[in-house]
Parts: sequence; C-alpha cells; structure tokens
Amino acid sequence: MSHATKAAEFNKNEAKVNWHDKALWYVREKRDKSAHNVQGWEYLRQLGSKIKANVLSNLDEYLIQFEANAKKNGIHVHWASDAEEHNNIVNDILSKHNAKKVVKSKSMLTEECHLNPFLESRGIEVVDTDLGERIVQLAQEPPSHIVLPAIHKTKEDVDELFQEHLGTTPSQGNPEYLVGEARKHLRDKFLNADVAITGVNFAVADTGGVVVCTNEGNADMGVHLAKAHIACMGIEKIIPKEKHLGVFLRLLARSATGQPITTYSSHFNKPEDGKEMHIVIVDNGRTEQLSREDFRASLHCIRCGACMNTCPIYRRSGGHSYDYTIPGPIGSILSPGKDLKKHSSLPFASTLCGSCSNVCPVKINIHEQLYKWRQVIVKEQKQPMVKKSILKTAGVVLSKPGLYRIAGKTARFMLKNAPKFMIYNKLNAWGKARDLPEVKGQNFDDWYKKRQKNG
Amino acid sequence: MIGIKKDRKMGRESILKSVKQNKPELLQLPDINEATFEEDINLLETFKNNLKAVGGFVKEIDEKSIDTEIKVLHSNKTNIVSTTKKSALGTITIDKNTEPHTLENIDLAILEAELGVSENGAVWVTASNSIVRVLPFITNDLVIILKKENICLHMLKAYDQIAERYRDFGVFISGPSKTADIEQCLVVGAHGAMSLAVLLI
Ligand code: SF4
Repeated sequence: MSHATKAAEFNKNEAKVNWHDKALWYVREKRDKSAHNVQGWEYLRQLGSKIKANVLSNLDEYLIQFEANAKKNGIHVHWASDAEEHNNIVNDILSKHNAKKVVKSKSMLTEECHLNPFLESRGIEVVDTDLGERIVQLAQEPPSHIVLPAIHKTKEDVDELFQEHLGTTPSQGNPEYLVGEARKHLRDKFLNADVAITGVNFAVADTGGVVVCTNEGNADMGVHLAKAHIACMGIEKIIPKEKHLGVFLRLLARSATGQPITTYSSHFNKPEDGKEMHIVIVDNGRTEQLSREDFRASLHCIRCGACMNTCPIYRRSGGHSYDYTIPGPIGSILSPGKDLKKHSSLPFASTLCGSCSNVCPVKINIHEQLYKWRQVIVKEQKQPMVKKSILKTAGVVLSKPGLYRIAGKTARFMLKNAPKFMIYNKLNAWGKARDLPEVKGQNFDDWYKKRQKNG
Repeated sequence: MIGIKKDRKMGRESILKSVKQNKPELLQLPDINEATFEEDINLLETFKNNLKAVGGFVKEIDEKSIDTEIKVLHSNKTNIVSTTKKSALGTITIDKNTEPHTLENIDLAILEAELGVSENGAVWVTASNSIVRVLPFITNDLVIILKKENICLHMLKAYDQIAERYRDFGVFISGPSKTADIEQCLVVGAHGAMSLAVLLI
C-alpha cells in the first residue's frame, strides 16, 4: 500500500490528526528554544556532521578499535551481517543463560530486525520497557515515531489497553494514574528478567564502551538487575573518541524533545562483577548504503526524531503511513535503499520544503536526498505509476483545505530558502497547485489546555 | 537491483570487507574549537536553574547540615542507604556483593556525585559512588551531594574532567525519571527515582 493510501486512513479521524500535528509542532518549538540557548549551536551541528563524516570514511578501522577495546574490558563482541544473524546471535546468548524472560529498552535496530516475534516464537517473553513502546506492544502495533513511539495513541486508548492487559480501573485516561500502574507492572518485569537487551546511542571506539540514553531509567533498571546485558548496535553508531560524546549529547536531547540532556546518559564500559555483557554489531544493509555516494550521509543519523516533528507531511499522515521501521523524512531516504520497489512512494511523501535538513543536528541533506531518490525511482520505474503516486500524496495529505494547515514558520522558511526548482519542479504537484494556507487559531499549548478542561 | 548479499557465519570479515570497499576517501576528524562555546555565566546559578527546569530540587547548604536538610525533605523514610560518609542517615548497609534485587524496597538513597554540568543540570555518578549499580535507579527517592566547585560549564568540559577515570559504569543523571509517552503529558516518576534532590556544599 502506498504512503498516500495509508495517510488517507490516518486522516479519517480529523480531531486526532489535528492533535498529532500540533503536538509534534509543539515539540519542534521546544527544540528551537532549547537550541537557541546554546552558545555556538550551529558550530556544534557542524562538528556533529564532520565527526560523522570522518567516522564513515574510516569505519572499518574504528570498528576494529572498538572491538579490541571492548574485549579488553571483558565484553563479548558479535558481528551480524543481517537481521537473521542478529536474531540468532541474541537467541544463542539467551539459550546459554537459559533465559525465558527478557526486558528490552528502546532499540530501533531490534525493531528493524523483528527480534520480538523471532524470540516469542521460541517461547521467550520479551517485554518492551519504555512506556511508549510498551503501549504499542500491548496494542500489537509498531512504534509510529522513533522517540515518541505511542504519539498516535490518545490517553483514552492507553486507558483501555491498560484495563485489558494490566487490569487497571477506568480513569478516563489519567496520565499520572496510568504511569503509576505501568511503573508497578514493569517493575515486576525488571525484577524477574533473566537478560536485558538495550539499543546503543553511541559506541566509543577509543574506550570500547557504549552509551544509552533514556528519560525513564528503563535501560538501567533492566541491565543492572539482569544477569546479562545484550547491547545491539548498527555499525554507524561508532564515534571515534569519548570526548565526542560532549558534542553528540549536547545535540541529541535538545533536538529530540528540547530537553538539555536526557535524564539518564549511561556509560557501559565493563560488566558488573559476576555478570556478562555482549555487544552485537549489525550491518543489515548499512554497508550497502555506505556505497551510495548520494545517500551515504543518511548514516549520520543519531535518531533524534527532529525531522519527523518538523515535517508537515509526517505530522499529518502519522508514522504508520510510512510502513517502515524508521518513518518520516529520514525513513524516506533510508527505506528505498532497503527495498526500492516496496518503498518507492516514500520519497514523494514530502514537500521538499527543507525543514528536515534545517533542524537535523548532524546536518543530513535530507530533502536533497529525497529529491535524488525521486530521480532514481523515475528512472527505474514506469512513469505513470510514479506520477500517480505523487499526485496521490499531494492529494491526500496536502490538498484538503482546512485539513492541512502547514505551520507558518516552515512554510515561510521554505518559500524564502528552498531553491525554486525544488518547490516548483514537475515532481512536486503541491508546489504547482497550491498557495500556502494561512496559519490561524490557538497554539498547541492553549489548545491542549482547553482540551484538558473539556475533559 | 538492490539486495543484501548474504555471507553467513562470516559476519565480522564480510562486514569489515564491505566497509573497506564502500567507504569514501578519508575525511579529517575536525578539531574542536572550544572557545566557540565559552560563555561568561554564573555556573552555579545556571546549574540550579537547569536542574529545577528538569524537575529536580536543588539547595545550597552547609556541609554540617546535610542530615538535617535530608530529614526535612524526606521525613518518613525507613529503608535508607547512604553510600557517603557525609550522611549518617543510612539504615541499611550495602557492599559490592549485595544482591541488587534486595534493594527493591529502598525508600531513599544518598550518594555523592563527582561532577555537575551547568548547561543541563546533570550530575555524574559512577559505579563506585553507587556501590551497587542499580541503587540510584531502583531507589524511590534520590539525594545527591555535590561540591559547588565541581560544576563545569558544558559536556565537553565534563568529559575532560572524567577522562582519567577507571571505566566500568557511570551515568549523567539530570533530574528525576520521567515520561511524556501518554499524550505528551509530562509525568515525573517513570521507572527510575521519583524525585531527585541535589544538595550543593
Ligand atoms: S535524520 Fe537528522 S533530524 Fe532526522 S532523526 Fe536523524 S539525526 Fe534526527
């Protein structure tokens, strides 16, 4: 199913779409405020981008160095070429520990590898412990956003899910109550888990350690209680030196949610006495992406989600419409590299306004890569199909007057700064057909408060 | 067209080979010009403001009044672990061999941190500060004692300060645990500590 068709489904509930749109724009605004507070923010982004470019140009050496240093500290290092190998390695480690209960903290990589169903079919209980991830797990859905996995769910949805699965009493979606119940439910899971699996935000070549960032403390609750820790990382998570964390940790949370840093930034260098630590290093298509000069920089991504929060199409079509582990602008440049045919509509799910590239903390030229993928797709696929998919995206998400309210700043920025050929090129039906709608009405804050009051 | 070649059981060699073949020419690692980040600000006040903004409690106190302050903050706690000599309020002693699961009912943990970061209100806590790594996460409430002179401007400076440490486990903690996963409503107290108080001496 194309992005447009799925976006149409999401657009059936207008109130929810409006909320989704505004909530994410509010996060984007928090990001702006937070970034403006940092002396030298633009220089910091430049550094982030240059360090990542250096990493990619020397990645094999850094991986070898990382492995050697990790091993020196008693960490077991494994390598997986693809998802299947990754899942088998994790399963082997679990078998060795006779593990039946696993707690997992957020990891887009294990989503990408479909680790949960793989382990569950082998009789292992896998519990996602990030609250948002737990919510979508109970709903049997994939996350719809890489930082805010349950952003598509209302508090009433969560209330119902918790009644069904955790036996809570109806609370009309009282967040404090629901979080409290989730805390109890997951605490029990932490205390009874055999092994903890985490993702990796940064892997430091010169120390062999990994850093995991959470706000909830779920990674640490899992790791420090279980007898073994498995950290799963894509090859591109490497950074050369520990000091570079000083650059990336300053960028990450501010770009993601507007916080100056996540509540917990945990540095794992050695397992606790009597415990085991494993790191699984995964390729799964990344070296292939590395070979594509035009698209290589997509591997700079530190998964902050800022490009999603700012994207007018993402905000009004929802993460699930992308039908790929990583949705939004970054997902739309990563996914064609994995399966060009399946994801051919994604590079068209964009106005090419450039807002994504503008906020990206590691300066990925996202909108230019979207444009380049369109050219690849036009070359490789029959024209009529392509045209249809462009018109559909534009038609569904953008051309419903009153439904689509592009946020003013983005629009103005785009008209001022995006090269004409990008707005008015043939592939962009939107640029041709429409004027930008005015932004009116209350901001998210007011709207939200009002909504709270009305129940 | 585009497919991922499978080379099973050869994970390491095949990945490294593929990286070598596909990587671009070497691009230099940039030097970091830290002068760009210099700011003439009051480190202490900025630290306090940022910590409050992330939901933490912070107070400058006299070293002698640590326990009095903690008793005011947490009047009715029974299971208390203190891993610092600066507080005598501990009711439960732990050591390196304490089974982490036995800490499940700890009401309050009192720890010392080695470093604070002005730009984000974070404090650096190591495995040796915690004795048992899970302590600052599993405790219901957390009190951290920090020397005022150990506050630095930003994260790059923080990494200079901790560059020579013994590396096992360490964590920057900024405020109490929190989540906004239910309709973006901020709720304090997710899985980690429900509250964080930093006492500056
Ligand atoms: S592409 Fe950039 S903005 Fe988007 S998630 Fe990755 S780092 Fe963040």
